Amino acid sequence: MNNILLLEDLPEIRSWLKVLVKGVFPDSQIHEAARVHDALGLVGAVKFNLALCDLGLPDGSGVDVVAALREQQPECQSVVVTIHDDDDHLFPALQAGAFGYLLKEQARELIAEQLKRMSAGEPPLSPSIARRVISHFASQTQRQERPQNMPHVALTERENEVLLRVAKGYTLPEIGVQLNLSRHTIADYVKQIYRKLNVSSRAEAALEAQRLGLFRRA
Amino acid sequence: MPDHALSPARPGLWRRALALLALVAAAGWAQAAPAPTQAITSALASPSSAEQFPVDAPGTAVSLPDDWDDSRPRYEGRVWYRARFDAADAADGNELLALYVERVCSNLEVRLNGHRIFSGGRMTEPVTRNCLYPQLVTLPAGLLREHGNVLDLQVAGHALQRVSSRQRAAGLSALKIGPQSVLAAEHAWRLFWNVTSVQIVSLALGVLGCVMVALSWIQRREAYLGYFGWLALAWAGMSLRLWLRDMPWNNAVVEFMFCTGFAPVVALAVQYLLSYLDLRSRWIETALAVQWVLVPITLLLAGPGRLFTMASLWYMLLVTELFAVVGLHLYVTWRRKRHEFWPMAVLLASAAVMVLAELAVQHELIALPPVQWLHFALPLLFIAIGARLLQVFARSLQAAAAGRTTLEVRVKEITAEIEQNFAQLAEMRVEQVTEKERKRIAADLHDDLGAKLLTIVHTSESERISTLAREALEEMRLSVRGLTGKPMRLADALADWRAETVSRLGQANIEADWRGPAEEVDQLLPARGFVQTTRILREAVSNIIKHSGASHCKVRCSIGEHEFGLIVQDNGKGIPMELDGKLDRGHGMSSMKHRAKQMQGQCLVESGPGYGTVIRLTLPL
Repeated sequence: MNNILLLEDLPEIRSWLKVLVKGVFPDSQIHEAARVHDALGLVGAVKFNLALCDLGLPDGSGVDVVAALREQQPECQSVVVTIHDDDDHLFPALQAGAFGYLLKEQARELIAEQLKRMSAGEPPLSPSIARRVISHFASQTQRQERPQNMPHVALTERENEVLLRVAKGYTLPEIGVQLNLSRHTIADYVKQIYRKLNVSSRAEAALEAQRLGLFRRA
Repeated sequence: MPDHALSPARPGLWRRALALLALVAAAGWAQAAPAPTQAITSALASPSSAEQFPVDAPGTAVSLPDDWDDSRPRYEGRVWYRARFDAADAADGNELLALYVERVCSNLEVRLNGHRIFSGGRMTEPVTRNCLYPQLVTLPAGLLREHGNVLDLQVAGHALQRVSSRQRAAGLSALKIGPQSVLAAEHAWRLFWNVTSVQIVSLALGVLGCVMVALSWIQRREAYLGYFGWLALAWAGMSLRLWLRDMPWNNAVVEFMFCTGFAPVVALAVQYLLSYLDLRSRWIETALAVQWVLVPITLLLAGPGRLFTMASLWYMLLVTELFAVVGLHLYVTWRRKRHEFWPMAVLLASAAVMVLAELAVQHELIALPPVQWLHFALPLLFIAIGARLLQVFARSLQAAAAGRTTLEVRVKEITAEIEQNFAQLAEMRVEQVTEKERKRIAADLHDDLGAKLLTIVHTSESERISTLAREALEEMRLSVRGLTGKPMRLADALADWRAETVSRLGQANIEADWRGPAEEVDQLLPARGFVQTTRILREAVSNIIKHSGASHCKVRCSIGEHEFGLIVQDNGKGIPMELDGKLDRGHGMSSMKHRAKQMQGQCLVESGPGYGTVIRLTLPL
């Protein structure tokens, strides 16, 4: 019933991940892809609930698959599975609509735990990613030339508070204690932050395309 | 006060100017003051070319001044005048007597009591042209009688119809007889204003014209300078007639030449006025050229007998053209160059008034003025306009020079800016290339080495190899970050370390107590420093999780001016001593110390069984 997309080019890792995912979601049906092209084909054919996407693939970047999923299947949760832990690689994927990220070399149990949490709606948020999100929204509010049809996305005060604390190095459970919020509420804030980052980034990308004259009305 | 600041030379100048004014005034008064002169206002007139006054022919009585156009229209040739006077009335005693003729046109000869005493020049064609020259004839005392002196004057002249200007129509003014000294002053005054002043001004105008023409030769783009220069030269050329009283041609030729001269003068004036405002038109230029040809042709066709009529018609037309262009010039100046309007308007209006007055004289609306103001004032106005042009030219030269200086400065600035930009660009380019290369190496490492290590991590049967490979992967990742990373804010680095440490300890169920500096810090940490510290801290936390069995871990960060310190303390069982008294190598203590040393820092480990472990890391900033 549960359809899961697994995009990974290394066969050993793919089969290892497959076993892992099967362990976490025993009822799921796993669709494997080794290339961006194949994955995009699957996105057009199958309705997914979860997608695990590697970033560096032989024929392109997994970010494209994340973006296509966000566009065509907004209900699907995309998670980036990568060897890169730096925000230079992760941030574009999050902007494209990824809901979280897993580092491939982590132990099986750790990845399984994180995957469970993410599917339960508790995405991770590292300080460096939080800083990137903060500077993204800061540059958004500075920009004046916003066309009428572009949605203006702003973070709420509480979302900002959570972001700032994450950026200072506090873990999400710690922030929950500090702000006297439940684990679920904190998770909701983080989800909202990811969602707004995606919406705002897409608006920005459309604006940029329009500015460059690439915008075409279908 | 400026008056007190005057130099000693100034009052002298003023005094000289005042003296000159007084002299001129005195000359005027000399004429106006009652003098013992005797005016002769009637005479017997007899048209005749004879050598003597024709006694046999009956003369007619005429009043002086006698304008031939009124008394004998269309008459061409010579007329004898006879007047009588008593020497006793005119002089007292020894004073030398003289005859003063204010105007005689074109020439005269004088006989006193039958003796020829004066000739103004040739009496037959080409007749000497003395129309503008007053005549002073000294009367020889030996020929004078007490009473009943007979004065015979023969005047040679041309009919008004045969000249192009009323000033040159034949006529004789009233005669004056009186002391030579008195009449000489009057003669000099009139000669100066009628002839000498005009000569001086014309000479100046000629020189100005040459300068303008030369200027326009150098400055080809300023065509109006050339037109004005040629205009001035043409006018000066036409004034040559004041010098050349005896020309080798008869009256018809000279008058024809003079009259045709006005066509080019007006053409040049029109061209000047138009080109000064960039209003030149091919159509107008063609019309002016045609007119230039048409004037002599019509004059020739009309014949010498109708010269005055034809000339008057042409003058009307030329003046109309001139006024139209002056009007246009002033209108455009008002619209485009308001600041130049008033000087130009005053000068051109004065010139227009003079030309109108002259036209009125020609049509007998005004009597012939005693002094030919126009001949003198019009070139003066030309000189004023020329001076104004030179001023404008000089100003534009000045502006051009200033503009060039500004431009040079600007070019220098821009050059400096470009050089600076270029240097920056080159620097940026180097940075970009370096950055790109680093990124490429990083990507290669991840794709190649990373993928292989990853495969080992997840496929190895042995947990130990798996762990080693994972550690190697983390090491690689940190190395790459050291390779590609930019300096990061120490505050951000602390946040990253805190998040990782607290999260890892939390997963291992060890209570973490992290305290950092209370206030925001602005120092930067180089990428290498960040990476090495991350490794040390990671190792320390790994040791606590794996070996210490601690339930609590304290981390303290302190940031000083030039260094920062990290203290990691746990309440575990401590590190067992080796036999040689050193701490266990298996716990990675030596690699932590080594890394601290690489960064010119130090890492101290205090531990004892049952006392927990304290790691003190100090690193320079």
